Order: sequence, then structure tokens, then C-alpha cells
Amino acid sequence: MQQTLENFYKAVRAAGVAVAPANSIEASRAVALVGYRERGILKHALSMNLAKSHADQLLVEECFEQFFRFDAFRDGARDSAPQGGDDPTANAEASDKKTSTAEPRYEGELPLAKMLMAGDRTALAVAMQQAARDAGLTDIWFFTQKSLYTQQILQRMGLRELQDEIRALGEGSCPTRIATAGALRTAKDRLYEEVRDFVERQLGMFGKTAVQSLRERHLQKTRLSNIDLRDFRIMHELVRKMARRLSALYSRKRKRADRGQLDFARTLRRNVAHDGVLFETHWKTRFVDKPRVLVLCDVSGSVQAYARFLLLFLHSLNDVLKRIDSYVFTGSLASVNDIFDSYPVAEAIDKIMAEHGFGGSDYGGMLLDLERDCLRGIDHRTTVLILGDARNNNLDPRSHILQQVHQRAKRVIWLNPEPESFWNTGDSVMRNYRPYCHLAKTCNTLDHLERLLDDLLRAATAA
Amino acid sequence: MKDLYQETLSSVAEVQRHFERHHYICDERIATCVFIAHNLQKPVLVEGPAGVGKTELAKTTAQLLDVPLVRLQCYEGLDEAKALYEWKYAKQLLYTQLLKDKLGELLEGTRGLRESMAKIHAHEDLFYSEDFLEPRPLYRALHEPRGCVLLIDEIDKSDQEFEAFLLEVLSDFQVSIPELGTIVARVKPLVFLTSNNSRELGDALKRRCLHLHIPYPDAALESRILSHRVPELSDRLRTEVVTFVQQLRELDLKKVPSISETIDWARTLLLLHAADLDAGLVKMTLNTLLKFETDIEAAGEHVRGFVEKARQRAGA
Repeated sequence: MQQTLENFYKAVRAAGVAVAPANSIEASRAVALVGYRERGILKHALSMNLAKSHADQLLVEECFEQFFRFDAFRDGARDSAPQGGDDPTANAEASDKKTSTAEPRYEGELPLAKMLMAGDRTALAVAMQQAARDAGLTDIWFFTQKSLYTQQILQRMGLRELQDEIRALGEGSCPTRIATAGALRTAKDRLYEEVRDFVERQLGMFGKTAVQSLRERHLQKTRLSNIDLRDFRIMHELVRKMARRLSALYSRKRKRADRGQLDFARTLRRNVAHDGVLFETHWKTRFVDKPRVLVLCDVSGSVQAYARFLLLFLHSLNDVLKRIDSYVFTGSLASVNDIFDSYPVAEAIDKIMAEHGFGGSDYGGMLLDLERDCLRGIDHRTTVLILGDARNNNLDPRSHILQQVHQRAKRVIWLNPEPESFWNTGDSVMRNYRPYCHLAKTCNTLDHLERLLDDLLRAATAA
Repeated sequence: MKDLYQETLSSVAEVQRHFERHHYICDERIATCVFIAHNLQKPVLVEGPAGVGKTELAKTTAQLLDVPLVRLQCYEGLDEAKALYEWKYAKQLLYTQLLKDKLGELLEGTRGLRESMAKIHAHEDLFYSEDFLEPRPLYRALHEPRGCVLLIDEIDKSDQEFEAFLLEVLSDFQVSIPELGTIVARVKPLVFLTSNNSRELGDALKRRCLHLHIPYPDAALESRILSHRVPELSDRLRTEVVTFVQQLRELDLKKVPSISETIDWARTLLLLHAADLDAGLVKMTLNTLLKFETDIEAAGEHVRGFVEKARQRAGA
């Protein structure tokens, strides 16, 4: 049973739940305690020990249902005959007919053939599990390995011998033997299907990580504009992962103050050595350094392909950072904090695109709005993040406002979806804005974004 | 004296029965969790929305095992001095004064610095001893002679530093006090940590705990809970209340009513001598169920339909 549990842990790991060795030991102990008699309790015991969040818990339980499935073999042909008719007399007639011709009966010694002919599903399932274990099925990784493993399992169950037997049975002219051979052949085909289904299910369990990480890797390299809507969810998760890292590093920076309320207990304690004379003072107040992030996101026609991605990123940031102000703009600035707060991601993005999207961008106008509404709030703790292509439709760039922002803010970061060689071509006014950015980078794949965030974080922690 | 682990819980069903006797109705999952935690002496991390009975679970477990409940409420800025121990500094200062007076007496007859120092060293160090220690919840939990149920409430509100400090307590049930050395629990307490997920907890902490997520109860469970907590409520009204609240939970609300609010509401209705739900009454008392003005507004338009359905269910 230990082997089975270990295989189960493997399946759980493959499903993306990180199971540490210590967890699996604890889980095994818990299983030993509650026993195997009650399926529900066993499931709870395992999920409680292996899962670390509600999402994990659902995954573990799904794995459990998949893993401990014992209906592997469907009823064979022998059972299907009585199901054929409702009329008992007709049934009896049919069976009479059967016995009168040639009831295929197997009298050989081959265990697999015996099981198949007897329709012993439990024995077949056990034999298959055993063969699967011998073949190392839990190591299955890619869907291309499916037929390989199917063949291996069948061989281990004795397929070759079975085929020899069928051939030998079919050679003679005895009708019973030929009928037996026929029945065995159908049973063999069914067995093949069963095993293939089984392997497929196992691939679903053990191969999940491989497939998923391949997919994630692929997604990271794809241009963000090409990402399909169906991959949106996966991508959302990826961005969230990054955003969470960002926020974890950002949110807690506290230092002790050197004024405020005196921590009397602590002060006395520290000064006992000085005979109670208060040399060292300690203070109760602590500052929590809460940086502010101001994000401006272009949603105009020229960045249309990227806008959804940028908004997705923005939404994820909104989820994890407490003090973030999100704005979108084409010609003028509009706050989208409320929309992000009150709608789930896909809906929020659709809503924003519908309300503010498309049209030609006017960075100058946007900066004017910024000056009017937000400039006063920007101080040495504020990070300003601008997402856009700086294509200004030949309007006045008003870069002097960005200069002011640059002077006030801690950092100004410009993420441009276009490659650097395209900057300053046509109506792009990146050259006007670039001097006033602490960092201006191309950002159109998740890889870029991730690297950039790393840079950002390093700077944030160093500062 | 019997400690907490001599009280044997032999099966999950028994745990469930015990809980029911203490008017805590739980599903199999919760019972399994308590059963494992008690037998393997593992801490439990309880997650779930506010008001589903996370704290109540710990309280009932303490009652059931007949041991005291030690509660530590976490908040931002909680530190060792408030959670574990603090020196009684005033008393310590007094002691030094006292020592000064008695020093002459003590050193009488000694000659030279070396000899007097030797004499002082010969005396035990009272300054950092348990006499001067002000015990805080964690320390008290380790010292309970029969063990206890330790409830660390809303661990997600505390700082990361405190969470790291808890690791030692949770894995070995011991703490280090620099001046005194390591203090080991007399009887390992049964620990419940609750979290509302306002902050992602560290993996190290999660790994040490059994994870239990308590969701909103389904209609059948909620009805049973209600019948235990508000036994005076008529069957008909109970069905109506449960059906109504279950429908309310389907709405997109800021704060969905949880079981504690259902109980409050049931008590309110009882107080108003309501025999039946009707739209006017519900609208009047909706503020016991919903805690945000926007939610009350949003729910207002559905009240009539929900009440209708609830009455149908109760009538059938």
C-alpha cells in the first residue's frame, strides 16, 4: 500500500501541488491512523496533509478521485447478452441456441486467456495495475509515449502468448475451438482499448506538469499580441505570480522611529545594566514604508493588440498592491480603480476597452491631465509606470510635464511594446520622453516583463 | 491528572458525535481534521470566510477535551513581548535596589574584590528567573499542566517576523528565552491557527500544519446547525430562513452572510415573534444579515422573489 500512496503523491505533485517529503510522511501517518475503510475520510486525511490552500485542496481531491478509480474494466460481452432483451423467454431461447451450437469455452492454461474468458474484471484490473507498475507507468511524461506504454503493459500481461494461443486455436477445424479463438480475439481487442484508456488517464495525472510547464514556457516566449483568448487564463496566473513577487518585496519595509511614544518597558529593560539610568531609549512607533505606484496605461488603437495584456498586468498588480492608482488613457486620463475593484478580470478589461479603448492617443493631453489631477500627489515614494508606445499622432508631446514628474517621483518607468529599433520612427516621440525616464524598455513578452520586474525589484530593495 | 491526550478519540464518527453534544455541528471533513490533529499532535491551520465557525471550532474542542483554551489574538505589530513573555521590569528594579541594601550584609567578612565576587557568584541568579517573568499566552500554553487548546487567531494579521518565530513553537513546542534557556511544553498543546487570507502565509508554516478550509455550509448542514443553536425556532421558519440565506449567498455581494449572521438573524426573528417570513419584515431586518449599505441595496430588489421561494420550500 505504501507504494500506492507514493504513486498518489507523485500524481498530486504532477497536478502542481508542491508536496514536500515531510508532508508525504505526515500524510502516510495520518492514513495509517484513519485506515482505508472509509473513502471519504481517507480523502480528507490525505488532502488535509498535502494541500496548503483551498485551491490545492480541490486539486488533491480531484487527483484522489482520478487515482482511486476501480471501475477500470467495463462489463464484457458475456454480460451484455442478457441485457439485450427484456423478455425472459427470448433470453432463454438465445442461451439455448448458444449451447446448441458451439459455446466457446477455453480449456487451456494461459492465465490471461482464462481471465478474459471468465470475464473476471477484478483480476484483469489487478493484472493491469501490476503490469503498469512493472512498466513504470508513473514516469509517463508526454502524450507521444502513450502507445509505447500501452504496448509494454500489454506485453507484460502476456499479449504475445495470448496471440500465439489464438493462432493455435484457430488452426484446427473444430468449431468450438474456432469460436473460442474468435471470442478471445474480441476480448483481446477490448483489453487493448481498456489499457489504452487507462494509460491515457494516467498521462492525464502524471503528465500534467510536463504539459503545463511546456505550455507556460511557450507562452512566455510568444509575443503578447499573439496570445489567444483561450490562453488568457493561464497567462493571468503567470502575471499574478510575478505581481505577487513584486508586492511581497514592496509591501513590508518598516523601520523603527527615533521619536514618538517611549517604549518604557523595553527602555527600562535595556537600561537595567546601567542601574536604571536611561541611557538607551527605545520607541514604540514604527514606520511602515508604503510606496505608491501610479500606472498609466495606453489603450489606443496603435497598442490595441497589447492593451489587453497591459490591462491584465495592471489588474493583477491592482490585486496584490494596496496603494496603486491605475489610469488608462487615449486622449485624456481616466481612473479605472473602481472598475478593477468591482469586476472580475475579463469583464473589467472588456469594460475598459469598450469605454476608453481605441481612438488615437494623445500623450500631451494625457500629461496635461496628469499635471492637473495627480502631479501634487507624486512624491519621493511614488513610482510612475507608463505603458504605451509613445505614438503621439504628431501632436505636441509636452515633455516638460514628464520632466516635472521625473523630478518629483522616485522612479519613472516607461514600458514600450515596440522593439527599440522602432522607437522614434514615424510619429513615435519616444526621444522626447526618454530623458525623463529612469528606465525605458521594450516589453512585449512575459519574459521581458519578468526580467524587467526583477530589475525593478532589485532597485526597490537596494533603495 | 488526566492530560489532553489521555482523552481518547477513537474514531472520526465519535468526534462528530462529541461535537454535536457540544452543539457544534460539523461535517466529516472537520471531524477528520480534529481526529488526526489530536492523534498525531499536529497544529491545524483553519481557513475560510469570516463567521463560519473557525474560532468556535477551537473553543468547542477545548470544551470537549475539558482543557483550558488559551487564546492569542494576532494583529500587526504583535511581538514576542506580548505573545510569549515579558520581564517584570519594575519588580526587577526594586530587586536591584534591595540587592544594593543587602550587599553589605552579604559581603560581610570577605576580603578583597576577588573573594567578594566569588561570594556573589555563589548565590543563585534571581534576577532573570521565573519570579520576574510575566507570562503571556504562548508561555502559559506551554506551562499548562494538563495541556490546553491554543488558539492563534487571525495569524494572517501578524507580521512575517512573528510567523517565523511561531515556527519553533509549532514544530517542537518549545521556545528559547535567552536568559533562561529553552522551555519545553509540559504537555503539547493542541494548536489551531485561523486565517482569513488577508496575507499569503509562508510555506514553512503551512507545511507544519494540517490544512482545513471551512466553506459556507450547505442547506442541510445549516439547518442542523440552526436547530442546535436556536432550538426555539419553529421548523417552518427555520427552513425559510435557511432557504433565504442560501439564495442570498448566490448573489454577488461584498460580504456574503455566514452562519453566525444566519444565527443572529434567526434570533432577531424570534425576538420579533415572527411566524413566517414576509418581504417587509425581511427588508427591515436585512441589516443583521448584510453589513454593507451597497449589499443591502443590491439584495433589496431580490427579497420578494427569495421570500416567495423560501415560503414555497417550507410549505412543501
